Amino acid sequence: MSDALLHAKKVSIRFGGLKALSEFDLEIRKGDLKGLIGPNGAGKTTAFNVLTGVYLPTEGEVFVCGEKVNGRRPHQINRLGLARTFQNIRLFKELTVLDNVRIAVLAERTPLFDRTRVESLKRGPYPGRTVGSVLDALDNYRDWWRALLRTPGFLREEEGIEKRAKELLEVMGLSHRVDELARNLPYGEQRRLEIARALGTRPKVLLLDEPAAGMNTREKADLMVLIRELRSRFELGILVIEHDMKLVMGICEHLTVLDHGETIARGEPAAVRTDPKVVEAYLGEAPAHV
Amino acid sequence: MKSLAPVAIAIAVLALLQVLTASSEYFVYLSLLVGVNVVLAVSLNVINGMTGQFSIGHAGFMAVGAFASALLSQVLNQYRLGFLPEPVEHQLFFFISLVVGGAAAGMCGFIVGLPSLRLRGDYLAIVTLGFGEIILVVVRNTPTFGGALGLSGTPQYTSFFSVWFAVFIVVLFARRLLASPHGRNLVAIREDEVAAEAMGVDTTGYKVRAFVVSSFFAGVAGGLFAHFQSIITPGDSFSFVKSMEIVVMIVAGGLGSTTGAVVAAVVLTLLPEAMRAVFIQIGGGNVALAQSIDQLRKPIFGVLLVVMMLTRPQGIFGTHEAWDLFKRKKGARA
Repeated sequence: MSDALLHAKKVSIRFGGLKALSEFDLEIRKGDLKGLIGPNGAGKTTAFNVLTGVYLPTEGEVFVCGEKVNGRRPHQINRLGLARTFQNIRLFKELTVLDNVRIAVLAERTPLFDRTRVESLKRGPYPGRTVGSVLDALDNYRDWWRALLRTPGFLREEEGIEKRAKELLEVMGLSHRVDELARNLPYGEQRRLEIARALGTRPKVLLLDEPAAGMNTREKADLMVLIRELRSRFELGILVIEHDMKLVMGICEHLTVLDHGETIARGEPAAVRTDPKVVEAYLGEAPAHV
Repeated sequence: MKSLAPVAIAIAVLALLQVLTASSEYFVYLSLLVGVNVVLAVSLNVINGMTGQFSIGHAGFMAVGAFASALLSQVLNQYRLGFLPEPVEHQLFFFISLVVGGAAAGMCGFIVGLPSLRLRGDYLAIVTLGFGEIILVVVRNTPTFGGALGLSGTPQYTSFFSVWFAVFIVVLFARRLLASPHGRNLVAIREDEVAAEAMGVDTTGYKVRAFVVSSFFAGVAGGLFAHFQSIITPGDSFSFVKSMEIVVMIVAGGLGSTTGAVVAAVVLTLLPEAMRAVFIQIGGGNVALAQSIDQLRKPIFGVLLVVMMLTRPQGIFGTHEAWDLFKRKKGARA
């Protein structure tokens, strides 16, 4: 296997007769900052949903950190190191900013049994699979009791979670909003909170779905700087869907252009911008007799 | 253990209250009814309020707990351990049958929780409603549970102390749950299931767990109820009407608020009794008049609920908790 953190191989998805995505290829390595663009309805968000396990690909394979994730549930894929934000902001609106991030942060605890062994058991054949589930359940019960009895170890974990959440909020410039309800934040800050929440899950690859939508020019400029900073600080691979051409051209080192589910161009931003197919997709077909 | 200190304090306070209130039979009886309803409301709040799933079959879980623990208690009552004094032995048997009743209800919760993986909102509500009805039909047709006549002769173990200790435990449980990653995951499911799943929350697993713990406590409430009723029948006390009563309590108290569930359960259980006392006063010596005014109890109760929902749709407490107020005050002072 390659050392790609996220690897989509000829992924296609059909909804009934509609081919929403066909033979989509993508590779994200550590430190990559790639963009996914295309006109409305081109299949960008569909691609995100396939990668994160919301949809099952009709054909093709998706690998996260070398593991095939076809058919795995979104939360399992997230735990492998893939986190995302949403185009139409999906925060936990009635909760505080801190709680939004705390939910995503996983406690740093020593599990009762070796995690990797339990996971491999659960994916193996029966009866090992049953044993894996039972071990998993036992670990979970212990965790509930620790929480209900508020053991010293549990309280330490909670402190760790809070500390980490506050660190992330500071990175995203939201420290002054910790105790406010998420729904009361201005639009730009809600977008940043979504990124903070995604970072809480300790991802290796971050998928950003139109992170600059609804932001003003200054906020967009700040966001560009911030995305670059996140990449180096958290050693991430980042994939951005974006409509704002200036932003995409400004930060992405590689672009994939989708139209009607087909990949019509890929490569460096400068080359992609002048690609006749891309121009056509965005501006419409050039009249034949001019 | 600092975390167990509240338990010790609660035991002391409840034991004292038990002695102080022993003289008034009417008060004790009311307090048992109120306590059972509080346990039911707080536990249902875990599903409907925290996790945002809609269950209207809580009385079904209560019935499972009631009949399972009553039956076990009757069986255990035929044996003597010998090495313990008899009252202690009774309390031990009582405790065991409560836990077994709760566990039986919890298992049913697991089974009912499974369809909740696929169903949402109204559809899930119908499944839980169906479950409640199935339990009653099963009991009515099982001679072991006494059939339609119900189960009588259950030892009368339930005391002020046991009911209110259960109340204390379930409130402590709800509070500590909410202050842990598990509770936060439940709330995340309520707020946005898709986002919760994307942030690594095992939404299906947590929905089932919410059902299991909630129905466990409903089963315990049922067990407590069975041990102070001379007879339990598969009728009104476990019917759909009872389930709706509990739903009304948590909605009136504020979905998601444990404090709200407690307050609403207390008020709504006592309100009819209080109204009766008032009407008897109004009727004066005229018994016939008092009785006809008493007919107005149910309509007035309904009107009060309608008025409340119109003026304060989020319930008495919204999603706030009494202990949050303390925390904020402390924070302000510091």
